[in-house]
Amino acid sequence: MAGRRAALKAVDWLAFAERVPPNQRSKFNALKTRSDAIAAKLATLPETPAAIDWSYYRSAVAKPGLVDEFEKKFKALKIPEPVDTQATIISAQEADANESAKAYIEASNARIASYEKKLEKFKNMIPFEQMTMEEYYDAFPETKLDKVKNPYWPHKPIADL
Amino acid sequence: MLSRLVLLSASSLKGSGPIGAGVVQATRCLRTSSQSLAPVPPLPEEGGKVRHGIFPEEFFQLLYPKTGVTGPYMLGTGLLCYLLSKEIYIVNHETIYALTIGGIIVYCVKKFGPGFAEFADKIYEEQLAKAEAAKESSISILAKSIEAEKKEQWRVEGRGLLFDAKRNNVAMLLETNMRERLHMVTNEVKRRLDYQIALQNLHRRMQQEHMINWVEKSVVSSITPQQEKESIAKCIADLKALAKTSQAQAAA
Repeated sequence: MAGRRAALKAVDWLAFAERVPPNQRSKFNALKTRSDAIAAKLATLPETPAAIDWSYYRSAVAKPGLVDEFEKKFKALKIPEPVDTQATIISAQEADANESAKAYIEASNARIASYEKKLEKFKNMIPFEQMTMEEYYDAFPETKLDKVKNPYWPHKPIADL
Repeated sequence: MLSRLVLLSASSLKGSGPIGAGVVQATRCLRTSSQSLAPVPPLPEEGGKVRHGIFPEEFFQLLYPKTGVTGPYMLGTGLLCYLLSKEIYIVNHETIYALTIGGIIVYCVKKFGPGFAEFADKIYEEQLAKAEAAKESSISILAKSIEAEKKEQWRVEGRGLLFDAKRNNVAMLLETNMRERLHMVTNEVKRRLDYQIALQNLHRRMQQEHMINWVEKSVVSSITPQQEKESIAKCIADLKALAKTSQAQAAA
């Protein structure tokens, strides 16, 4: 029984709460209340039940062999431990979560790389005072006027003016 | 036109560096011809300096070593006299038109020039400010996005805590269940033993009561009428004696 107790890992609820994104906060609160309820229930139960005073019963009960028989059977009784059905499920969930987390982190890193590249481009741009229009079109390709598609001035559809 | 020509020739002659202000932060476009891959210098801010609005300063500097300060003016006056006296340039009506219109143009430029230049500069400044603002906002948005992505990654790192909490819950539930079973067993055994004891007590009490009732009944039934009369007479005699003693006590 003491060995079961050590299986409980101390969960730092504060650190956990920090890491929860705002859109999952309600789920986190539900989890916390449930965990607290379970812990409270566990705390109310004493670890071992009160011992039975066999000598008193032996002196009190008239039937001669009854108490001895009860005592023998009681001491021989082995209560089976409840079976843990959720462990595999939780491990499977954890593996899934790790997978998706890895994929997410990879995608996130790719996004960070693209952002950094754009940031580099902006940081290394020459100041606008020194730019010619050609250099401006090079720096912001989306502003370049397509003279092949719209050969006549103003080189863009009238609606876009 | 003259000034631009001289300027180009001057720059190509002297191979001057950037005339404009400001430090080049990064590589500008490079010349793409195979002969030179040097970076293109930035465009100059101001045009070439001119004297009297038309004549470039470089001309005066050119003649300064040989003829001093008045050289170019003497050249100009002499040239004008030569043109007029030799009738290479003929004075006619168009000269008057040219002079008046030239005067008007000079007057207008001198009067409205600065105002117009300010107006144009303001427009330019606004465009510049807009472009700068766009660039700044882009930079800040990118930096914030990078921050947000890093924060999300930090959040993801905490996923282990969730599973720790789940496992804890499961362990606690199992432990609670186990304890409940133990308690139930003990309580049941105790209840049975207590039942036995209660049963015994009940038996004894019933036996006691029954015996008392039986004894009472037999005693009452054994009292014969003769014994009853005798006992009543004795009681009356006792009472009389008691009354006498109590009277005597009250009198005394």
